Amino acid sequence: MTSPEAAETAAPQTTKKTKSRKEAVKVAFFRGCLIPVKYPQMEVAVRHTLPKLGIEPVDVPGFTCCPDPIYFKATDKESWLTMAARNLCEAEERGLDIFTVCSGCTATLSETSHLLAENEELRARVNKRLARVGKNYKGTTKVRHIVTLIRDLVDPAVISESVRRPLTDLRVAIHYGCHLLKPSPIMNVDDPDNPYMMERLVRATGATPIRHKEWILCCGKAIAKSELKQKPMETVLCSVKEVNADVLCVICPSCFGEFDFGQIKASKRLERDVTTPAIYYFQLLAIAQGMSADDVGLSRHRVKPERLIELYGDPL
Amino acid sequence: MPVEISFEFREKLHTIIEGNLLSFCYQCGACVGDCPTARFDPTFNPRHIMLEALYGLEKRLICEDSPVWKCANCYTCYERCPQHMKPVEVIIALKNLLANEGLAPAGVVPHTDRSKTTGRSVLVTSATERIRAELGLPPLPQLPVDELTEILKP
Repeated sequence: MTSPEAAETAAPQTTKKTKSRKEAVKVAFFRGCLIPVKYPQMEVAVRHTLPKLGIEPVDVPGFTCCPDPIYFKATDKESWLTMAARNLCEAEERGLDIFTVCSGCTATLSETSHLLAENEELRARVNKRLARVGKNYKGTTKVRHIVTLIRDLVDPAVISESVRRPLTDLRVAIHYGCHLLKPSPIMNVDDPDNPYMMERLVRATGATPIRHKEWILCCGKAIAKSELKQKPMETVLCSVKEVNADVLCVICPSCFGEFDFGQIKASKRLERDVTTPAIYYFQLLAIAQGMSADDVGLSRHRVKPERLIELYGDPL
Repeated sequence: MPVEISFEFREKLHTIIEGNLLSFCYQCGACVGDCPTARFDPTFNPRHIMLEALYGLEKRLICEDSPVWKCANCYTCYERCPQHMKPVEVIIALKNLLANEGLAPAGVVPHTDRSKTTGRSVLVTSATERIRAELGLPPLPQLPVDELTEILKP
C-alpha cells in the first residue's frame, strides 16, 4: 500500500483554485434528505465552513430527494432516473452547478447525468416525462460531491489558512464509504483502491489522519439481510478500534448514521467496546475554524467525541 | 445434462434500464474477488447470479428470499468488470423485477413511496423544525410534490 504522503504527491494538481479568486463561487447546494432532516448539525457546519473557502452555497427550493440509489433505485429505476433528472433541471435552469453533501445523492445525480449524456434514447424518454411539468434536461449542469468541489476549486493552503485552532492533538481515522469513489469512471474523484483526498482534508485541519486495515471496506448498509449486514460493519469497527483514533471521520450522512448507531449495537453483540465516535468532516473543519462543539451539534451524536470536545469544544 | 436457456426471461430483464448489459458477461469472475458480501457469505457469488440470469433461470432469481438482496450495492464489481457490464446494475434490474412482483423485502417499497409522495426519504417530524431553528437554520421548503406525481406516472 502506498503511504498517504506518497499518494498525495502523486495526486493530480488542478487549476483555478480560490486562492487567486476575488469573488465567491456560487454553487447550488443539494442538501438531500438525511442532513437537513436528521442531521441538521451537518448543514450548519457546511454553511459555516464553505464561505471561508470562497464558495457560496445557493439554496434551490425545488430540489427534492435525489432519490436514493439503494431502495428507490431497486424499486423502479426509470422513476429514479426521472426524479433525479428533474433535480438536475432545477440547477440547470438557474445556470448553476450542483454540489452534494451525501455520497448517496452524489451517486444518483452523477450517474443520472452520465447515463443521460451517453444514451440519447433514454434522455428522450426521461424528457418526455419531464415535459409534463414544463422541464427539459439538456445536460449542462456539473454534479460534484463537496469533497470533489473542494479538490477542484480550493487550494489546500486556503483550507489551512481558514483554521484558527489547529486540531494538532487529534487522531482521525477515516471511512471513505463506497459511493464517493465508485464507480470511478463516473465519479471521477479519486483512486477507489488508494484514495488520498480525505487524508489531505483532515491534515488541513491540523489533525493526524490514520489509516486502518479495513479502510475501504463497505459498511454494509444496503445489504437487506440483517445478520449478514452486521458483519462488514463489525469488521470496519474492530479495525478502527485497533488504531486507537479519537474520532472516525466520514463524508456521508448515511455512513454516519450507520456508524453512530451501529457501533452501539455492534458493541453489545460483540460484548466489547468497539466504538469510535463518528463525525462528519465539515463538523471537524468548523471546530478548527473556531466554532464550538455545541454550535456544530456534537451533543446530538449518540456516541459523543469526548476527547475532541474536551480539547477543542469551547467557543473560540 | 443439457442446459436449457430461457430467452423469455432475458428479454424481460432487458426491459429494465441496463438489464441488457448482462449479455456481455463472459463469466470471468472478476466481480467475486473483492465483493464484500461474498467475503462474509460464501454462498453469495455475483458471477453465479449473472450465470443464472444468462440461463434465464427465473425461479432461482425471482423468488422469495432472492439472493440479490444480499448485494451491498458498493459498486466494486462495476469497478472490476473487464467487460464493463456493470454486474451491480444487472442485480438492480433484477431487484426491479422482484419489486414489480411484490417480492422486495419489507421496507424497500414503502421507503420509495415516501420519496415519491413527500419528496423526502426521511419523515419530517415536529421536532425537525424546532431543532433546525435552535441551530439557526432556515425552515425546510415546501416541495413540488405535484410535479413529482406528474413525472412519476408511467
